[in-house]
Amino acid sequence: MAQFVQQVVAGLGDGAIYASLALALVLIYRATHVINFAQGEMGMVSTYIAYALIAHHGWSYWPAFVFTLGVSFLGGFAIHETVIRPLHRAGELTVVMATIALLVILNGLVSWIWQPDEKILLSPLAGGTWSIGSVAIPQQSVYDLIVVLVCVTLLWLLFRYTKLGLALRASAVDPSASRLLGVRVPWMLSIGWGFAAILSAVAGMLAASAQFIFTPGFMQVTIIYAFAAAILGGLESPVGAVVGGLTLGVTINLLGTYFPGQISPDMRLPVALALLLLVLVFRPAGLLGRTVVRRV
Amino acid sequence: MRMRFGLLAAMLVAAAVTCVTALAGAQAAPGVSKTKFVIGGTFPLSGPAAYYAPIPVGMKAYFTYINTRRGADHKRGVAGRQIVWKYYDDGYNPANTAQQTRKLVEEDKVFATFGALGTEPQQAVVDYMNDRKVPQLLVSTGATEFGARYREKPYSMGWQPDYFAEGKIYGKYAAQNWPTKKIAVLYQNDDYGKNYLDGLRSGLGAKDSNIITTQGFGATDASVAQQVVAARQSGAQVVAIFGTPSPTVKTFATMKAVRYKPEQVILNSVSANDYVMGLALANSDATTLDGTISTSYLLNSNDPKYASNAFVKLYKAQMAKWAPNADAKNTFFYYGFAKAYDVVKLLQATGKNPTRAKLLNAARHMNWTNPGALKGVKVTTSATDPFPISQVKLIKYDGNAKIWNELGSLINGRGGT
Amino acid sequence: MITRRFVAGLVATLVAAAVILVLPLFLSDTHEYRFAFVATFFIAALGLQILTGYAGLISLGQSGFMLIGAYTTTILSVDHGWHELATIPLAGLLAGIAGFLFGFPALRLRGAYLALATFAIPIAVIALAKKYSDFTGGGGGKNLTRVLTGHEAYVLTWPIAGLMFVLAWLLLLGKLGRSFRTIRESEIAAVSSGVNLTVTKTLAFGISAFFAGVGGSLYAIVIGFVNPDTFSINLSLLLLIGVVVGGLGSLVGVVFGALFIEYVPLYAPDILSWAEKPFGSPLDPQRAGAGAAVYGFSLLLVLFLAPYGVAGLLRRAYKSLAPSSYTH
Repeated sequence: MAQFVQQVVAGLGDGAIYASLALALVLIYRATHVINFAQGEMGMVSTYIAYALIAHHGWSYWPAFVFTLGVSFLGGFAIHETVIRPLHRAGELTVVMATIALLVILNGLVSWIWQPDEKILLSPLAGGTWSIGSVAIPQQSVYDLIVVLVCVTLLWLLFRYTKLGLALRASAVDPSASRLLGVRVPWMLSIGWGFAAILSAVAGMLAASAQFIFTPGFMQVTIIYAFAAAILGGLESPVGAVVGGLTLGVTINLLGTYFPGQISPDMRLPVALALLLLVLVFRPAGLLGRTVVRRV
Repeated sequence: MRMRFGLLAAMLVAAAVTCVTALAGAQAAPGVSKTKFVIGGTFPLSGPAAYYAPIPVGMKAYFTYINTRRGADHKRGVAGRQIVWKYYDDGYNPANTAQQTRKLVEEDKVFATFGALGTEPQQAVVDYMNDRKVPQLLVSTGATEFGARYREKPYSMGWQPDYFAEGKIYGKYAAQNWPTKKIAVLYQNDDYGKNYLDGLRSGLGAKDSNIITTQGFGATDASVAQQVVAARQSGAQVVAIFGTPSPTVKTFATMKAVRYKPEQVILNSVSANDYVMGLALANSDATTLDGTISTSYLLNSNDPKYASNAFVKLYKAQMAKWAPNADAKNTFFYYGFAKAYDVVKLLQATGKNPTRAKLLNAARHMNWTNPGALKGVKVTTSATDPFPISQVKLIKYDGNAKIWNELGSLINGRGGT
Repeated sequence: MITRRFVAGLVATLVAAAVILVLPLFLSDTHEYRFAFVATFFIAALGLQILTGYAGLISLGQSGFMLIGAYTTTILSVDHGWHELATIPLAGLLAGIAGFLFGFPALRLRGAYLALATFAIPIAVIALAKKYSDFTGGGGGKNLTRVLTGHEAYVLTWPIAGLMFVLAWLLLLGKLGRSFRTIRESEIAAVSSGVNLTVTKTLAFGISAFFAGVGGSLYAIVIGFVNPDTFSINLSLLLLIGVVVGGLGSLVGVVFGALFIEYVPLYAPDILSWAEKPFGSPLDPQRAGAGAAVYGFSLLLVLFLAPYGVAGLLRRAYKSLAPSSYTH
């Protein structure tokens, strides 16, 4: 029983990271109908920026964390303005290829500037555990969950209750009508990318702590789990992304614990994806997506 | 008359002999001229294994030293020949290794490759090198194949103690010193980790049943929690970690996180350097790391104990001179520097008219000590022993002083021949 | 049928064929060896062109199918004594079947979803190859028996590349090609005009995987060694980038893509040193990641300046040279 609780908490911690990244993907997809293959790498760059602040400039963790979020927002905004917007007329495939180009560039630049050897970015809670009876709760996992839920809640509040949020939602749903109403749609889309960048920065920094050490490629597997979570939840559903992420994290963890023979760590990802495909066969729009019926 | 004829005949013979010798000299081996030795290697200067990139730079520093100083024969270089060192990036991708190696052999016409890095990358070119009869010497990998198959692939040879031999040493040590303690093995699930595991079993011999669990992990896995927890639950008193730096640090960190402090930890030598231990310390603590056992065959250039060692001083001086922007504390530079010593000895052993056959012969009859290695370590090979360095010393980590201390005397491990 | 466009394509093909025939006379053995790799990438990229460029299905799984082809050839020739050439069709076939089987569950997925699912292919295949190490040689890889000279590699790979090119062209010529293109434009329109989505999509996957298998098989033969990690997602990305750079929808363009894949990473450090000079060379071009950055930027440049790839540029140049042509 203790084992079960521990694994659930650990799974929620992992799942929170997937959820944050998945939410970033959904945000961008809803706003600009683009699958941003570079979302994980953007989070990775943010992590390296935080690392540089802490390791080379002596900042402490929380100031660096928050500052990085700000920088990430600007970064996401800039990328949309300079790379995505000019190309959007060239078609979906071109834009997707552009995000792939970004993926390659960002990974290369980070390796070039900071070198590919192992680096550390530890949160103050990394590695600690709280003991409740015989159960050892990893502090990092709880922290991951809380941080992500806080961010998601703040974003939700922003989207729901502020004018900016309204404009953002309108731009995603009906760009032409929004334009007629005076909303500067292109700016809104870039702002959307900025918020997505914040979410992926959160995911990156948390993952770096959870994995203890990181290298430029450390988000490459996480993004796949995030994709799976986003699709599981329905690519257009923010709630779905969060639920999908948490569910995926817990499920994978429990399966790995109770079936260690079949689901050895290197088989985790293929199994996760197989499960995803299975879900999609029965619920093609994901668990929480809206089923679009195409009678063809 | 007879005298003059005799003189003429003698002169003709002398001329003929000179011509023949000159012609033979002109057909000297590829990569060798009167003034140069051209040698090369492929290394992962970019990509996932780029942390090995300092090695060829360290080698270059030593070669530059040899090229610029006057040796015992008052000549610069090796008997007056300058060493031209060409190295290319293969990104640890065998496809690139194949292409770059051919470039070295066919375009740069290297005499031999030295120290080329990577088990799979070098495996990819073993057949090619042996086919073309180009020596592929002192490869930078501990994989047992380089050497174990020396009969079929005589042109390929390793340098450092192979992983199997190292594992065997740990096995023997465990059998002798901890005969009743149970062992959990956390190993990288590729040939690297499996080599160590096989060696460990071999060294344990009859006590091989002491291994009660083996847990594999991938070199790039995000987490090793499952494996560490399984090790803890097995109740093993000894944990052996056979992985490259990344998973090693994660293992130590996870051990601290799940509060698992086994009585003894065995760590493979590749990950037992100051840099990795520093990262491990930052992620766990002195208590977890204290007492970790590993092996070493080279001097630790960062150890204050060796600060006045002549070779270490030479290393620091040459690195400062020829690679001032490099961080000489990164022991991969030192590894290259020390290896280059053996490269130069081999080149010197080819004598006045170097040929590849002579080089190979020299490689089969190595018998000296490398001043960069621990005292007493011999570099020896013979017709039946293709492993240059087989001796190591056990080292033990002092988590508080943050240094490795040498333990006991030199041990001889035998490769998996 | 004999349109101007057809003629242009034919001329381009003949020119390319002539160049390839004559090239060995000017290349050293080492360069012929490199060029043999271009051929293997060309074949795998042709498959991807059919799947993505013609049928509009984004796939990041091509390297996984290459792995299947590569290992088929390796295991059959090393462990069972087959001659390498004899293994090539079977390598393609097995890979093709795998692609076909993947096509079925993938039917449900569109666009983003599909791309993600294809992500899984190389990951799953590599994990399996490492797991069943007794059969495959595991992570350490396996050597093939024969070592080829550069010239032998060239002479082996390019004729097969030519054959595969003709095969691709024939496949796309008739109804199948039209079906693919219609799917790319609009699935609804495709179905309304009688295209069987199920069959066509799975065929697209099967065919492209077949090409990948053949490419992978040759890749293994040319290197003389296989190991699972060589066929990672990076290789799939490389192939996709190559197809886009060459020009989506252009078979001839794939050659440029293959050249891009082989040579840009190789010369990236040189390109970087040259580009850095005006800035005083702050960063060492030989360092890790420099090549990737160059590579990515080149792709971005192509997307901005020449979205139809090199083939698109050539087409524009051709059009401007023949202003009176009213292409049919």
